[in-house]
This record gives sequence, structure tokens and C-alpha cells, in this order.
Amino acid sequence: MMPDVTAADFVVIGSGIIGSTVARRLAEAGASVLILEAGPRVTRGEVVARFRNSPRRSDWMSPYPPAPWAPHPIYQPESNNYLLQAGPYPYEAEYIRQVGGTTWHWAAHAWRNVPNDFKIKSLYGVGVDWPFGYDDLEPFYQEAEELMGVSGAPNTGSPRKKPFPMEPVAEPYAMRRIRERLVPAYEVVTNTTARNSRTYDGRPACCGNNSCQPICPIDAQYHGGLAAQAAEQAGARLIADANVYKLEHDERGRISAALYYDPDKNSHRVTGKTFVVAANGIESPRLLLLSASDKFPRGLANSSDMVGRNLMDHPSTSLTFDADEDLWLGRGPQSPSSIGIMRDGAFRAEHAPYRLDFTNISRVDGTTRALIAEGVYGDEFAQRLRHSAARELNVKNVLEVLPDPNHRITLSEQKDAMGIPKPQTHYSIGDYTRKGHERSQRDFRRIAELMGGSNLRFSKEGDFANNQHICGTLSMGDDPKSSVCDQWARAHDHENLYFAGTGVLPTCGTCNSTENGVAVALRTVHHILGEQGVRPVSAPPGQG
Amino acid sequence: MPSNPSTWRFPILIIVLVVTALAGEVASAADNPDAALVEQGRYLAIAGDCAACHTAPGGKPMAGGVAIATPIGSIISTNITPSKTSGIGNYSLEEFSAALRRGVRADGQRLYPAMPYTSYAKITDADVKALYAYFMHGVETVDHKPPETRLPFPFNIRLAMMAWNWLFLDTRPYAPDPAKDAEWNRGAYLTIGLAHCDDCHTPRNILMAEQNSRLLGGAELGAWFAPNITSDADSGIGAWSVDNLVRYMRDGHASGVAQAAGPMAEAIDNSLRYLTEEDLRAIAVYLKTVPAVHDSADTKPPFAWGTAGDALSTIRGVAVPADRDQWSGARLYDAYCATCHQAQGQGSFDGGLPSLFHNTTLGRANTSNLVMAILDGVHRQPDVDMPGFANELSDRQVATLSSYLIQRFGNPSGSVTVDQVKTARAGGPSGNWLVLAARLVIGIVVLILVAVPIIALIRRRRSVSV
Amino acid sequence: MPDNVLDAPAVTRRCLLASLLTAYTASLIPWALAQPVDNADQGAFLAISAILAGRQSLNAQQAKRLYDALKADDEGFPKMARELLALINDRKIAPLELQQVLDGEKSPLAGVPRKIATAWFLGIVGAGAKARCLAYETALNAIIVSDVLKPPTYAYGVYGSWTAKPT
Repeated sequence: MMPDVTAADFVVIGSGIIGSTVARRLAEAGASVLILEAGPRVTRGEVVARFRNSPRRSDWMSPYPPAPWAPHPIYQPESNNYLLQAGPYPYEAEYIRQVGGTTWHWAAHAWRNVPNDFKIKSLYGVGVDWPFGYDDLEPFYQEAEELMGVSGAPNTGSPRKKPFPMEPVAEPYAMRRIRERLVPAYEVVTNTTARNSRTYDGRPACCGNNSCQPICPIDAQYHGGLAAQAAEQAGARLIADANVYKLEHDERGRISAALYYDPDKNSHRVTGKTFVVAANGIESPRLLLLSASDKFPRGLANSSDMVGRNLMDHPSTSLTFDADEDLWLGRGPQSPSSIGIMRDGAFRAEHAPYRLDFTNISRVDGTTRALIAEGVYGDEFAQRLRHSAARELNVKNVLEVLPDPNHRITLSEQKDAMGIPKPQTHYSIGDYTRKGHERSQRDFRRIAELMGGSNLRFSKEGDFANNQHICGTLSMGDDPKSSVCDQWARAHDHENLYFAGTGVLPTCGTCNSTENGVAVALRTVHHILGEQGVRPVSAPPGQG
Repeated sequence: MPSNPSTWRFPILIIVLVVTALAGEVASAADNPDAALVEQGRYLAIAGDCAACHTAPGGKPMAGGVAIATPIGSIISTNITPSKTSGIGNYSLEEFSAALRRGVRADGQRLYPAMPYTSYAKITDADVKALYAYFMHGVETVDHKPPETRLPFPFNIRLAMMAWNWLFLDTRPYAPDPAKDAEWNRGAYLTIGLAHCDDCHTPRNILMAEQNSRLLGGAELGAWFAPNITSDADSGIGAWSVDNLVRYMRDGHASGVAQAAGPMAEAIDNSLRYLTEEDLRAIAVYLKTVPAVHDSADTKPPFAWGTAGDALSTIRGVAVPADRDQWSGARLYDAYCATCHQAQGQGSFDGGLPSLFHNTTLGRANTSNLVMAILDGVHRQPDVDMPGFANELSDRQVATLSSYLIQRFGNPSGSVTVDQVKTARAGGPSGNWLVLAARLVIGIVVLILVAVPIIALIRRRRSVSV
Repeated sequence: MPDNVLDAPAVTRRCLLASLLTAYTASLIPWALAQPVDNADQGAFLAISAILAGRQSLNAQQAKRLYDALKADDEGFPKMARELLALINDRKIAPLELQQVLDGEKSPLAGVPRKIATAWFLGIVGAGAKARCLAYETALNAIIVSDVLKPPTYAYGVYGSWTAKPT
């Protein structure tokens, strides 16, 4: 059928926390903005209701069933085979295609990089340098933090010119004891999180629901659903259930239109002056590859052949043990405290740096499953459950991965329900990361020792858990031969095509990627508004 | 009235005083021979909640300009800073007193009864003097004149208020009852005078004058309900302890009894929480003696209803319906309320997140405040104690949820309809204004007509802020 | 519906749980002996539930819901529950050894205790795509720690309440 046509100054593809933030800022500057979101609108109440009814509570994807017309990967009870694994090591990414995107469930970690993360090639001879430095990004970190409502401790290695919008979130008792007992060997710091330690922007302070993942039931943490709402309030138009499957270009290589399917597979065409692809580190390169044409046979923005390559995330290994005192994880937010001393140092020439992260997730469900598996019945069950719930601790590393072109997203031969090729991953855990893991075992043992630990259970050797911080697949850089976009996240190959998302980050450091992605995108917006003569957004609005 | 020495214990007030004094724009000490009197006046101005109408959000204190929206036009509060050009800087003590206690401006014009001068009429001469000292010397001068109030004919005939005043304004200051002790008398003076609790809590007659026979007997306040606070055990606050009343006025909540929301939360935020423990106790002691106004439908105190319980067996293991308007009350409770109030409505361990049984909001036959709490939430500056759900829940969902809450945790004689939620969402009943106006036009002297809607509309306005 | 098995109303053709037990199993769950049950199948389920759960009472309404769900999930469940109870009655197997014994003998009943324990402790019946959560807040693993922890998604308390030492 003949597609209908919609037009806007800016067409943003993807309504996640980053795409929506970009759309909001552009709309606030007076531009006409259209957001196309592949998935449906979902309410917080539905997610809460689904979680409590879920037979797979530890699977944080379970309250987010994929839409048939815009699937996302799920692995339980069995894989839906949406994200195909080409190996050698599985990369089982989790993300959410719905209005607001994947930060509907996150631990709300909103870290800045440390300054040296921007130049690991120059300093340590590994990876690549970013096309700009920490100081260039600093004001945009601040802007992101004020938008999202970020709180944190001042002593985390990322210098700041203005204070956090909020005080750090109150420290759970268990974390206090860990901090006290690890002195002086380790300094345990409160995490930097987009979680309210007071009423902020009309949202309440945290009430310790301990379900940051998969859902904060009271919106005490920021998420993409709020960002999308703010974008719409600023005047952006959002079309849900609009699964973009192709970008079109004109003879000069400028992007001219986005084509999307609605759930009934009717095709619609959207034209715009500028396009911003913000569909996450997997779906964005997928769309560029899907948009191959005679003029761009390898896909859009891909003259470098770097689209989809340099896939990075944060693998983790961990130690679980029993402390010698009752701590009762599960009171307060899920992920409150870290150790940052291994985030940077000369050792980065040799092995991956890492952040050490203490979980505060309730041990009750996990212990219950373990006891049932063990066949513990009768009176003993309650005693054992209470013992583990009170004493069990877990510390994990969050390891840096270096960019490697062999780690990549490609198109699969298989197609999804809409007939669009599915994404496929090629991934492995490199030596640099493995050596970082090995080094961290020393810290694990020392921490257990200082906590009077017993019953030490290291994660299975060779197994690395994934943290869903998808980076690198649209890497920015100054050289069009080795990067997809320039320092402003504009495609080297297309004058009016920008990217917003963690895919543009050239390296992944040791911290969750969201705040870096938001800050870089705000820098992109600032550049776009300056270049296009639209009045730049003035000082970031304080939301307090 | 003697000055209240405990005022000095309020560090906030002292800080404000010092800071504003240092600001230099406030009249200098040379013009201000009696700092203690000014400070007493400041406290009284807080007790009288002058700022509620005369300080715009984010604006300069007492500079006016707050537009009070009514169906007949906006009434705009005036600048009452000591500005000689824009405020009340030229007022003599006598002129100040006349405005405060008689509703007459220095230029002879009548105030609209948006100004609660029928209550302020009870303020003693000594307190008027202190208030005058504060407004002349303790308030920063702002030389900006807010726009004039311009109501259409016949409401623009301010002289009309004379007749209403003649009928309903008792100009005698509060006279202590010698049969009662000083605490009781102080409480009565504050309750029905300076703090003008009666302004909202006393029902009005057809001419919008307070019904003295039902003093503090409870009244609709737009979409909210200002409850009966007489001594009746089942309909009023007779079953509350004095301590709980004090806690409620000071903290905005009394555990296991009630939480303040809407206009009452504002009154606490702006005024009551700054009052001394002695004054709050005096108000509580007085309230416990106010002649009982009883509604025979009330068979036990509102906070005595309900028990812990759940309907989880109806939703666990049952798929979440796609059409959210078809969700059951139990499902809505699960998705939106149970998170804080807990699965059986029992609240948090320490009661900081309140239980829903033994909760006044659910125990009253009048369900206005339940609906409004769900729509607007509970706000205590600067905090969101409970987020509102107006943007998340439809009228039908709020009605279904409210009915579930009432049946499970509250007084089952209450009910909530979809229409009621719709009306509350729009700011409260509005149709009755037309009825009222029609009656008045027919039966009442045209001049009196002016006062009636205005008081009513003020009451309505107080309910739609948040 | 009654909250506790002990005050369940009498219904025709009911029997007492005690009639299904031997002296050994009766000694494991003395509190449940006077519990009326609809039939021998449900009685067997309830007896094994009580033995596995190690609690002094079980919610009768929840027991019925879990039993119905287990039966719906597997038609053979009631029979297997009966056989398992018979096995425990006959061989006087201690709760803590039950699973080991069944696993060691590769008993066809080995999956039954796990199913029942999963239902009571996690509130979950069925496996894979057929799994359902019939109890969350009232699953026994939540009840066992309810003096200290709230089930995730439920607020622990007002901001900062979690800084205090749990008591």
C-alpha cells in the first residue's frame, strides 16, 4: 500500500532515556520533533502487577513481555531466539523495546567516567582515546545529573564543578557494616545513582522497595518512561508501535526518510531535516545495516565497516559468602555501594580495571531455590533461610572490555515476525578482561576475610555475567576510517544523521554506560542547536 | 493578649528576623523601637496564615498578587508590605485595625470576604498592635502594586458588603470566658479568631455565613471536605487524644489516626507547624470542648474502622487484564497502593507509611478526601509524601479502587462513584453555584448578593491549590 | 474463607487428617491432626505440605489453591502425593532425608516433594512456560522473614528507615 507521510525537523528513532532526552531538549528549543518507538506504551502499574505475578522473579525481563511486532531478546523460560548467538562466547543482551526503553529496569547507576577513561590509548597503550576529554563533557554530565536527579558521594574519582543535585542516598545498614569493616584496606563509597534521596522534580524519595530492577514502583529513580513523558510535555510527538525498518537517503547521501511498520505491518514514511538514531547499541546498528542501498551497499554510515563492531559491555564475576554477623540484605535500594580503587591505574596497560560492587538484593528467593534444590525440608528450612538471608553477601567486579572489531552485531539470516532480519552477535571475553578478573579474585578473598566470611562460593570459572551496558557499536572518533561518527555523534558519511545512545561511546570504562550516553547526547544536542542556529538551550534547568 | 515568650524559642523565626534585618531593606532599628513587639506580630501573622493569600509562590513575602480564581472573576490579593505607594505603609494603627477586623480599607472601600475579617474581628487590641508593628517594621517593603481586582457588576459594588457585614459581622474582640482556664481561652481565641479554623470547618447557611449552631461541624471545601472537628466522639475529634491533635497539627500526621492532605496540609505547612507546643495544645484542649455536632450515621470514630486483610487470592496466578479499566479493586490496589501501604494495608514497620485501616481518610462516610488523596496525593512542603495518581488512573479506576479500599479497610457505608471522581478531578461541585445564585437573585437584597459567592468561592479556591 | 486450617468449617464426607497418618507422621505434624480434609487426595497433599513446610499452621485457602493448581498442572499429582505419603508413613523417612532417599532410589516420586516445596515456599506451580505464581506475599519464604524484610517491590519504610540495624 502507499505509505502515508509525516514530517518533522527532527526525527528521533527510539524513545529510551537518551533518545527522549535529546527529543526533549530539541523540542524545548522550539524545533518540531517526532519520536518513533518500535514498542508499545506501558504503565508502571502494569509492570508492578506483572512482576508480583511472575513465576520468574529473578528474571528481570519477565515483567516486560516483548511485543510480537517489535520483539526484544528474552531467555527465560527459554530463549525466543531473537538475538542470535554466533559465538564464541554468548552475548545475551537484555533490553526493552517499549516507550521509555531499557531503563525501566536498571540499578539507576549514573556514574561519570574517571578522567583517564578518555585517553587509555595515550596513557596505557590499550583501546582508543575518545575524541574529547573529561573536561569537555563535564558540563553535560552536570546537565544530565540535574535532569535525571542524581545523587552520590563526592569521593569517586570524577571531579565536578558543581555539587550533586542531591545528597547521597541513605546507606543501608549492611553497607555501613561492610564499609566499617573494610577500613582501612578499602574505601567503600555510596554509588552515584539517579535515585532520589529527597523529593525531586515532583517524584518521591526512595522507600527501599529493593526492586530497582525490574521496576521502581514509586518512580523514586529516574527512567526513560519519565524522559519520554518530559519530551512529550516539551512538545515532541511520540508515535508508539512504530517499528522503523529502513532509512532512506537522497543522491547526496542525506537521510530523507524513515520507514516504519505499525503492528499490522502497514508501512509508514516519515520525512525530516535531521535524523537521530537512538535505538540502543544493538537496534541502531541493525537499522543502519538494514538500510543498505545501491549507493551504500554495506549499510548506512558504514564506509568504515565499523557499524556494529567494537561491541563492549561489562562482564562480571563474583564471590558469594556468608559474613560472621547478621546484615540482612534487601533493606533499601538494590545497589548502594562500591569500591572504586581499581577503576584506574598504571595496571591498565596489563589488565582490565574494575569497579567492585556490593549487591543489596534480598537473598530470600535465591536461597529458597537453593534449599529446595538441596532437598532441605521441615524445621530446618526456615532456620537455613533466615541464616542465609541475614548473612549472605555478594561482591562482583565490573570489568572493562576493550574495543575489538571482531566483537560485533550483524544481521542474521533469520527474520523476525515482521520479516526483518534479526540481529546476531559475535562476542568473546578477551585476555585483558580475563586478567582483570584474575586480579580481582585477590580483592574478593580479602573482602571475605575482612567480613569474617565462610562458605565462599566463587562464580564458575570461565563464566562471565553480563551487565547490559551495550557500547561501541557506533563508535565516535576523529578518523572516518576507524569510527562511525564524529565527536558530535554525527555520521561521518551522512550530513544529517546523528546517533544518540551508548553505542557511540568508544570505550566502556568501569561504570554503567547510561550517564555517559546521556551526557554525550546532550553535548550532541548543544552542537546541533548551535550549528543549526536554533537558540541553544540555556543553563540546564535545575529541577529541584 | 500578653506577648508570647515561647515565640523566641523558634529558631526559624529568629533566623528569618536576623536575615531580613540584615537585608537592609527592612525598616531600620531606629524606626523600630520594640523588636519584641515586631517579633510577636510576626508569630501572630503566621498563626493567622496571612502569607497563604498575600505571598505568591516564589514571590516576596506579603507582596500580594495571588489570583484567586472564581467563576465570577479573579480576586487578587493586595500588597500588604509597608510600601507607601503600593502597600499599607500609610496606614495608621486604626486604619490597619479596621481593615483587619472590619473589612474596611483606609480609603473606605469594603474588602471582599476573601479576607477572613469575620474571624479576625476577634483579635484583641494588643495583638492588632503587634501585627501592626510587624507589618510596618518586620516586612520587607515591596513597591509593586498587583493588578486591581475587577469583578463584573454587581459584584464590583464593594459597598454591598456593608449589608452583609451588618447581618453577620460580630465586631467584638474575643472576651475570655472566666469560667474556663487560660489555656482553654487561648485555644478558643486561636481557633475561632486568629487561626480562623472555623472559616473552613464550619458549614455555611444560604447566605454563606457560618452556622453558629454547627460551629466546626464540617463542611465541603470544593473537592475536599473539611471534617467535623467538634468534640463528638464518632463524628468529630472527641476520640482523639490531645497529644494526637497536637501531633497532627505540628507534623501533619498522627500515627494510627490520620494524615493531613490538601488544604489542611497547606494550613499546617504555612502556619500550624510554626506554632508553639503550648498554642497547639491550647487549640486541642479547646476543640475537645466544642459542642458536639453528631451525625447519626457515624457509629464509631473514623479511625476505628477496618482491619488488615487482602484479596491476593483473586489476583495471584491470574493474568493481568489488558484493559486497565477492567482491573478489579484488588488488582489496582496491588499495582498502585500496596507498594507503600503493604499487602494487607498494614503500612510500614514503623508506621511512617501509614496503615489504611484505622485511618480517618477511609473511615469517614464522606469520601471526598479519599478520592482527592488518590488524585492529588499528599504533599507536605517540600516533600511528596504520597504521589497523586490523577495522570495514571482513570475515573473508573479511581472509583473501583476507592470502593475496594472502603470495603476492605474503611467504613463500608461510604461509596465512590465514577461521577464523583469526575467532579472531584474537575475541582469539586460547580453546578450548585447556579442554583445558589438563582435563589439569591430572587429572594435576597441585591447588595447582599455580592458577599455570598465570594466567600463560597474562596472556600472553593482553597481546595484546588495543591 | 478461614485463615487457619484449624478453624476450617465442617463439610460433608470430610475426614480428619489424622485418619491418613501413622503414628510416625502424626508425630511430625501434631498441630494438623484435627484438620478436616475434603478427601484422601487433598489430605495426602496437606500432610506432606505440613511435613515439608515445618510450620505450625498452614493457610487453608492457600492450601486449596496450591492443590488445585498442582492438580491442574499434572493430573497424576494427587495419586503421586498419596503414594508419597504412604511411603513416608511406611518407612518413617525424616523430612530432611526425604529428598536424598528418593533421589538415591531414583524414585518416580522424587519430583513430588520439590513441587510441593516450590508451591509453598516460592508460591510457584508448574515449570517453564506453564509456571504460575499463585502466592508471592504469602509464600512461606516471605512469611519466614517477614519480621525483618518486605518482599521486593514493597516499601521497606520511609526514606532512610533501612539505615537502622535490623532487630
